[in-house]
Amino acid sequence: MVAPESVWDVLRTINDPEMPINIVDLGIVERIQVSSVPRPSIQIDLLPTFVGCPALPVIEAEIQKRVGQVAQGAAVEVHFRFHPPWTVDRISATGREALKKFGLTVPAVGQQGQTEAAQPSCPFCGSADVRIDSPFGPTRCRMIYYCETCRNPFEHIKRVGHESTLLNINPKERDAHDASIFRAPPKDLA
Amino acid sequence: MDRITDDLKRPLVDLLLSIADDKFILGHRNADWTGLAPMLEEDIAFSSLAQDEIAHATALYQMAAGILGTTADKLAFRRTPEEYRCATIVEMSDDFNWATAICRNFFCDHFDLLRLERLTNSAYTALAQLAGRLAAEEKIHVDHVDSWMIRLGRGWEPAPARVQAALNELAEIAPTLLEPPPGLEKLEKAGIYPQSRSGLFEPWRDVLHDVVQSAGLTLQLHPPSPSAIGGRQGKHGPGFVTMLDELTEVFRIEPEAAW
Repeated sequence: MVAPESVWDVLRTINDPEMPINIVDLGIVERIQVSSVPRPSIQIDLLPTFVGCPALPVIEAEIQKRVGQVAQGAAVEVHFRFHPPWTVDRISATGREALKKFGLTVPAVGQQGQTEAAQPSCPFCGSADVRIDSPFGPTRCRMIYYCETCRNPFEHIKRVGHESTLLNINPKERDAHDASIFRAPPKDLA
Repeated sequence: MDRITDDLKRPLVDLLLSIADDKFILGHRNADWTGLAPMLEEDIAFSSLAQDEIAHATALYQMAAGILGTTADKLAFRRTPEEYRCATIVEMSDDFNWATAICRNFFCDHFDLLRLERLTNSAYTALAQLAGRLAAEEKIHVDHVDSWMIRLGRGWEPAPARVQAALNELAEIAPTLLEPPPGLEKLEKAGIYPQSRSGLFEPWRDVLHDVVQSAGLTLQLHPPSPSAIGGRQGKHGPGFVTMLDELTEVFRIEPEAAW
């Protein structure tokens, strides 16, 4: 029977198809169970980053192929679970570093994502003078920031959850925030 | 509860289909804006919203398909128009009026989130876990559409006038979202769809009011008539069949094709 550790090792060689990070560092592998009854099987539980993410079938096929090679005849079964929910906090320190080099920032562990302190720093120049350019991005799990210092846009992994996005602030704070943005139109347009 | 008893299967399928169909059709309508939204960021946003909704619908169709012994694709593409359980407000065209598109999402996304949040307490574990995840993602939609309501409501004319007109118009049909799918009371009794004393109308109206007020707009919402029969019972508007034809066109060319 194959040892669970060697399955973990194989999974560390499988990257997310859209980011330079392996699926173990991404934190989507919740559990590996190797059993001999009722039949030899390797059960792998994965936590999707987003429900129905198009990368999931690609990852599953890759697991089937690579784990299949070391499975010694055991059936490889991949299950997608929603509990516990995947969160950005599951991304390892190594994974965070790899993503940063790629120009992709990740919310700091444990931050609730709704205060100024939760803003990422620019992955290129390190500046904290950044703003949200778009709460949506090239994939469902990313949003786009703009660095006012080096004038580069960069991508940021969303923190999904009830205290998730930066726009989720209480109405009074929102009013104050909006008052600073919504100015009266210039006189010639009014 | 891990297993569903036979008498609850049909009501549960109808509930799952009503949520999935709302999301599937709204996602289809949101995708109309891909390539046509008023600015690049919104083109990306509406395309992402559409992807989210259709992915959510897929997960719910898969759960219903497991109960019925069919597939998600067949549920999505091979039902007759009267077998769809979506509410009227998601199926109508927004006629490429940005104010209508935003107001429609405003009504629908808030309702969707409340419904999913309620389901996170479902006695059916698999549904509760899925709903928790879907609610977390739906929250992003709610935040986004709220920021648009405020932006348009406090913007320069004609934005406030146009968004107010769209709100008034959609307020007439938005409560169709609250029409219960067939057999809902059985699910409430079994704790699969947790009951609350006030139902969903008041919490929904209140949360909409907060945003509308903050945007400097007004909204008059009335609870739906308990005797009204609409989308949840399969009675759809005049444009529904045309839209469904378009939506299922590619699938119908080769129904057994592998995607």
